[in-house]
Amino acid sequence: MTAIPPVDFLALSAILLGIGLFGILTRRNFILLLISIEIAMNAAILNFVVFAAYSGTGGGIGGQAVAVVLVGLAATEVAVGLAIVLALNRVRGSINVAEATTLRQ
Amino acid sequence: MILEEAAFVALGGVAIATALLALLVRELVHTILWVAVFFVDLAAIYFLLEAPFLGVLQLGVYAGAVTILLLFGVMVTRKRIFSREAATGIGPVPLALALLVIVLVGTAASVVPSSAQPIRPYDVTDLSSTLFVTDGGWLLLLGLTMMGALAGAIYLVREGRE
Repeated sequence: MTAIPPVDFLALSAILLGIGLFGILTRRNFILLLISIEIAMNAAILNFVVFAAYSGTGGGIGGQAVAVVLVGLAATEVAVGLAIVLALNRVRGSINVAEATTLRQ
Repeated sequence: MILEEAAFVALGGVAIATALLALLVRELVHTILWVAVFFVDLAAIYFLLEAPFLGVLQLGVYAGAVTILLLFGVMVTRKRIFSREAATGIGPVPLALALLVIVLVGTAASVVPSSAQPIRPYDVTDLSSTLFVTDGGWLLLLGLTMMGALAGAIYLVREGRE
């Protein structure tokens, strides 16, 4: 039984989302980009867990089910992201996303 | 009660600090170590929210698998894994956008009643019946997505493709 208001958790989640977004916008290294996406995704998962915890009787457990699915989805996304890192490294010799310009006109 | 508030403040502070450090340190390996601390810290927050199954899942999948995968990614793409990143400037526009998102989401969150409410404890049995029976389709969809991702990853990294 916790006495922490849910707004505190939501504020934490919002700050983490902002940090993740900041990383996505500024970092040029593909692995750092993936990490930023993970931070933002964790903020979203935290939101689901908070609302599941504070939803009162009945229905709240669905939020945790969504969170479980999201954790799996995030792991999948990292695996595909690293496959892209390897392919990018082989083709361009660097994992700087600013240099991945093969599809440009 | 005061103990839980102190735990939340400490865990939240560590989460924000490690997320910032992960993005601001120059060595990529240090970034990954900080982000591992961040994942463990979030698992502790899930335990605080009475979601122990999710906390364990976070420890296993994020702090375990994702961290190791990221370390492998660094290992195979650089000659010297401790080499520093070129400094990326902190532009005013991304900073302003991030702050704007924090303010907007924070404002949207403030409609939630700010009074302290009890957290509903739950049973893992409840979660599993929701996950496998009521919302079983989502888990099935996740499995199919993972299979597609597996095939895609193998296609991307296979030999002889330039």
